[in-house]
Amino acid sequence: MELIHPHAAADVLETVRDANASALRLLVVGGRHHADKGNACEVDGELWTTQLDRLVAYEPAEMIVVVEAGMRVGELGRILAEGEQEWPSDAPADSTVGGVIAADVQSPRRLRVGRVADSVLQAQVVTGDGRLVTSGARTVKNATGYDLHRVLAGSLGTLGVLVQVALRVRPLPKARRTLHAPGPIGTGEALLGAVPGPAGIVATPGEVEVRLEGWLEEVEEQTAAARSVVPELDEVDEDAFPSHRPWDEAPVVAEASVRPSALGAMALAAGERWGALLGVGLLWAGLEGADGQLEALRARASDLGGIAPVIRGAGGLGDSPVPARAVQERLKAAFDPNGVLAPGRFWGGI
Amino acid sequence: MADVDAARRALEEVLGPTEVLSDPLALAVYARDASMLEGECALVAFPREVDHIVACVRVAAEHGLPIVPRGAGTGLAGGATPVGDALVVVTTKMDRIVEVRPDDRLAWVEPGVVTLDLVTAVEPHHLTFAPDPSSRQSSTIGGNVATNAGGPHCLASGTTANHVLALDLVLPDGTVERLGSEGPSAPGYDLRAAVVGSEGTLGIVAAACVRLTPIPPAVRTMILDFTDIEDCAATVSGIIASGVVPAAIELMDRPIVEAVERFVHAGYPVDAAAVLIVEVDGTEAATRAQAEAVERVAREHDVRTIRVASDAEDRDRLWRGRRNALGAVGRIAPHYTLHDVVVPRTRLAEALSAIAEIARRHDLPVTCNAHAGDGNLHPHLHFDVRQAGALERALAAGAEIVRLAVDLGGTISGEHGIGLEKRGALPLVWTDEDLAAQACVRSAFDPDQHMNPHKVLPDGARCGELPALGAVAATSAVSRPEDAWS
Repeated sequence: MELIHPHAAADVLETVRDANASALRLLVVGGRHHADKGNACEVDGELWTTQLDRLVAYEPAEMIVVVEAGMRVGELGRILAEGEQEWPSDAPADSTVGGVIAADVQSPRRLRVGRVADSVLQAQVVTGDGRLVTSGARTVKNATGYDLHRVLAGSLGTLGVLVQVALRVRPLPKARRTLHAPGPIGTGEALLGAVPGPAGIVATPGEVEVRLEGWLEEVEEQTAAARSVVPELDEVDEDAFPSHRPWDEAPVVAEASVRPSALGAMALAAGERWGALLGVGLLWAGLEGADGQLEALRARASDLGGIAPVIRGAGGLGDSPVPARAVQERLKAAFDPNGVLAPGRFWGGI
Repeated sequence: MADVDAARRALEEVLGPTEVLSDPLALAVYARDASMLEGECALVAFPREVDHIVACVRVAAEHGLPIVPRGAGTGLAGGATPVGDALVVVTTKMDRIVEVRPDDRLAWVEPGVVTLDLVTAVEPHHLTFAPDPSSRQSSTIGGNVATNAGGPHCLASGTTANHVLALDLVLPDGTVERLGSEGPSAPGYDLRAAVVGSEGTLGIVAAACVRLTPIPPAVRTMILDFTDIEDCAATVSGIIASGVVPAAIELMDRPIVEAVERFVHAGYPVDAAAVLIVEVDGTEAATRAQAEAVERVAREHDVRTIRVASDAEDRDRLWRGRRNALGAVGRIAPHYTLHDVVVPRTRLAEALSAIAEIARRHDLPVTCNAHAGDGNLHPHLHFDVRQAGALERALAAGAEIVRLAVDLGGTISGEHGIGLEKRGALPLVWTDEDLAAQACVRSAFDPDQHMNPHKVLPDGARCGELPALGAVAATSAVSRPEDAWS
């Protein structure tokens, strides 16, 4: 296995062009936290983006930061904190920005902060056939051409290698608080209906955590609203959310995605170690292995019109059919005609 | 060669004879959208269900007609202006709100649903559809998807792209696919993200699943006026730098305030150099805190007066002025061109004074409003097309404004799109390789280039090879605004 550590976009370009010339198949690797997401595939080398870690531009009044894709999430957090801002991916500190985008990592605060992929305003990418291409603009609003940068989000490094991104960032909340309430998913749903603008509500077997963020007075107001439906709440002014992650220690973690109102039905097929992100429609399930338990989870997700890819451990993405398969295949063929970037890794074996 | 008669007969069989038009009046009406550009078409069809759209796509392909999808035709960049012997597929008769699901905070709608009708329909559930283009009284959801429509409230809530969960798309080969999902993620490449903003070049939306957001419990709308436009612009970036992201920050310069005030009587101060409408929302406490922060920043930048809307009616009045700006400025001269560029919000003041200078040099009155929080500027250049050289001066000044935005680190369109109008300007922001990559996206959906040809990309742009941008094929009598860029 060849390990390649490019230091600049030009090195990435050269590496990918060489790979095309010598029929070398590459896996793009960032911090390796989300590398399990994807189907098993054979590669001849790994392209590590971790040396591409420079800050390109940051102006807090623009609420935009431009970084190379290998920058660690923790380092980006430190830079943005100086401008009292954040990129709210909530990914591990040593994961990379590019990896988080390529794997479409889901923030537990998605209800308030939106999908991480939506924060990508511009991307510079080396395509599978060795072209350096830019899409988007360094502005919060842009209606110029096709949003290729948004298509790259979640593409698992199978269309191109992200080398630089412009990200929309957010002001750091002035106050944050987590409320803990005993009870089933239904308690969480009642809280979702009662609390205006929560950052996230995670239900686990027997407990609900509500994350509040914003102005101090706002957080107090939200707390009062929560107490109106669940009087017996614990308030914790803490950093980690959710603090209780029963799925996290399991050897295999699947991430089910269904319509929000189907989470209760999804949880019934998820065993004992799960967490449901209410109002969003995500459920993380900790499993012992990629076996019957995973199959049952996927069957339930599929019945509910959803999917359940594995995000840690073995098990791949599952066999959900990809929509407009011919379009998907033509897209792959256009950007990676020689199948250099982890062929077979993507949905549907693309 | 297109066989228009055969196509008409085939379509009449499926859609019914009343839903296919080819009389001169219809062809003239549908030969243009809300832009300055005029095109030509051969047939106009009004599908009422998804199978009708499929028939339109198949018949057009079989008989060699290009297809131009169209909603209400409020687009300002010529995206729905047909070119050649086109079949214009008008989706306004597909106007059912199929399903509103408050538990999932989503709605399924047909493409012809008018934006404001959707907003009104979901209001009883204390939900709203956030994207609010100024044309929302007539623009359709399908058109919003095609242009990734924005509006004043994009600042906090994002554009249409952030509010479309799934699309049932009729692909250029006539197959129907559901892209995206009702849940937070879907298998495969995010084709939905490519389709939003694609200006009808990748397929025709037959149904859209849109995200609904809770109506915030409190809202406060303020009007701030400044004697110096630089103070006004500095207030905009100061608000953002202070950690407040208002729901909307709208800027209007003095000429536009005067025009609007004469027309709408919204109570704007007509002697100010510039006016901001700032709206904050959220919980009662959050609204209060944000409003105080906005006031503090504005006072640091010598705001003259701050007036808070006293009630819902007063708030509506303040917004009515802004929303009717387009009608109001139409009284300044018989014609205007409306521009749509984006600059970094820290360079707003610079952009405004440079635009005034450009207009002065070309001897054109200019009025300007802006979604200032997004750095999205809408200068209007006013002229009388009957005066010799007036249109040419307006086009030349417009091209300079676009170049200015790019030079300041911005981009060529914030929300109106590229259409026919700006495809020649793309090389200002993109390299040949960037354009080739864009062409790859298009070819993946539409290898035979049936769907809204000549839009979005320069005709020379090809996937996998360097585009010959100089060689623009002669296609029709449509005016060629891209000549202004060369």
